[in-house]
Amino acid sequence: MSMSSADVLQFVASGLQNGAIYALMALGFTLVFASTGIINFAQGEFFMLGGMLAAAGMAAGVPLGVSVLAAVAATTLVGCLVERLALRPARSAGGLALVIITIGCSMLIKSGARHLFGPDERALPAFTAGEPLSVGGALIEPQAVWVLVLALAAAVGLTVLYRWTKMGLAMRACSISHDAARIVGVDTARVVMLSFGLAGALGALAGAVVAPITQTAYDVGARMGLKGFAAALLGGLGDPVGAIVGGFVLGLLESGAVAVVSGTYKDAVALVVLLVVLVLRPQGILGRHLGEKL
Amino acid sequence: MNAFRVRQWFGVIVAMAMLAVPLVVTDRYVLKVLTFVGVNAIVVVGLALLFGFAGQVSLGHAAFFGVGAYASAFLTGTLGVPWLGAVALAVVLACVVGWAVAVPSLRLKGHYLAMATLGFNEIMSVVFVEARAVTGGNDGLGNIPFPSIGPLELRSPTALCVLVWAVALAVALAARNITLSRPGRAMRALHATEPGALAVGIDVAAVKVRVFALSAGLAGLAGALYAHAVGFISPSSFGLDFSILLMAAVVLGGRESLLGPLAAMTAFTLLPYSGALLPGIPRAVAETIQDWVPDLVGLTVVLTLIVRARGASLRFATRKQAEAGEDS
Repeated sequence: MSMSSADVLQFVASGLQNGAIYALMALGFTLVFASTGIINFAQGEFFMLGGMLAAAGMAAGVPLGVSVLAAVAATTLVGCLVERLALRPARSAGGLALVIITIGCSMLIKSGARHLFGPDERALPAFTAGEPLSVGGALIEPQAVWVLVLALAAAVGLTVLYRWTKMGLAMRACSISHDAARIVGVDTARVVMLSFGLAGALGALAGAVVAPITQTAYDVGARMGLKGFAAALLGGLGDPVGAIVGGFVLGLLESGAVAVVSGTYKDAVALVVLLVVLVLRPQGILGRHLGEKL
Repeated sequence: MNAFRVRQWFGVIVAMAMLAVPLVVTDRYVLKVLTFVGVNAIVVVGLALLFGFAGQVSLGHAAFFGVGAYASAFLTGTLGVPWLGAVALAVVLACVVGWAVAVPSLRLKGHYLAMATLGFNEIMSVVFVEARAVTGGNDGLGNIPFPSIGPLELRSPTALCVLVWAVALAVALAARNITLSRPGRAMRALHATEPGALAVGIDVAAVKVRVFALSAGLAGLAGALYAHAVGFISPSSFGLDFSILLMAAVVLGGRESLLGPLAAMTAFTLLPYSGALLPGIPRAVAETIQDWVPDLVGLTVVLTLIVRARGASLRFATRKQAEAGEDS
């Protein structure tokens, strides 16, 4: 099988575009995991809400930019509500029960979206009109540039928040020990709620920015959640830098599989990655140790 | 007559009454719905063993259900294998696939196992659509032969319903025996504490793999029966939504219970058909109920777990008292 350098570049470009989306999703998983130690199965629904709410806003005549921002804001609120209304009251149950509650929430969000927006696919226009850019023979849609730029902006913003703000310090403290954080005066309940809010914002951003390329529907959440989780695990759960690296690695692996094998089972790549990492290296490619958490 | 005998007789009477239901009901549509109840009962008993007793969550049981359905349909319809042999092979295949999923997942606990099995279900959803030669793709697989043993063919809705319910009853009784015997105690022990189970000499890994394979096999058996009872299958019946519904039934039905998940799954199965089952109900109401079943299930899961988390200490205390009273 021969492939020109333009073909290779095309696959790399599409891998980076998908990878940026997976990175945003992985960041959502990782933030919640760092502050609570649980996997949030509703993360995929945050992705779905971003695209669907933005599309609904557009359909109602709201300008695109405002629609997208409002969709991200509304999903942030949904994230906070999931924590406050469903998880906090059951906190004492711990572990698996909380995870199953997020599965219940994901059902509610998905079904709610179907009631609100109907079962049909929805499209969102590209953020900026224009011809595809030609880079070394590969064609890159302007929307793909938006995906990369916004993902990068979100990653930088999150790094600033995590490293250099008081809230970020509190979040890092919670990821080490809730009890210790509480002793030094951190409002842990608020930190957990904030991490769910941020996870909502990241998921919604991913969902809205990729909707012009892939379209969206009420039931796209689960599969995207699976990929975001695989990316987060690949980079090491709870590690924001790892999440971003994991996202891009998964995106490129998928692209490679499509190029070398076929596009039919593209979605299987994430599961294979998930199982291989879980079995061989549960701390991720960058992680050091996670022993007791598994 | 001691309490155990009374309960045994009660069980026999309930079983007879249940098997009599399909004989009394004549409406074809209601019989079909009752057949679904029986099929789902078989799957949920398997998941109750795995999740409710052994504490191992699975979000992939719809896929095992699908493996059984497609395998049996393909074996009978395309390859001409006799029905009984096809069903047996379908069960074996589902067991083997379950075993193959369970072995690498052994190292995973709780949420990781949930995510891995969810991934398995998503992949199988793709396979059911893409492997057209076997599954017929999105158009589905039709003209699946009716169950037959030699010259005897079960065609009537009543016969199909009795067959499914008889199998469901046998499965439920077998499962109950398992839970009361040594493997059942091992399952409960590893659910309660894995190090503790190891310490008393239980081969935790082997128990987990066996119960996973058994549970997958039961889902496969239900799938095979479903395929032959309805005559047509398509990928939409084997999606993640069904896996989550099964999990919800076990959550609602309670830990270490077979009757609880059975009752919950029966309710979840009947809800969408309330229009056909309750003659007086207005059409609009029935449609609304059907439309809101997922919301109801999701809400039930969330509320059940919240209530249990908040009431756990209280319930634990009362149960202790009850046990103390029984012993004395």
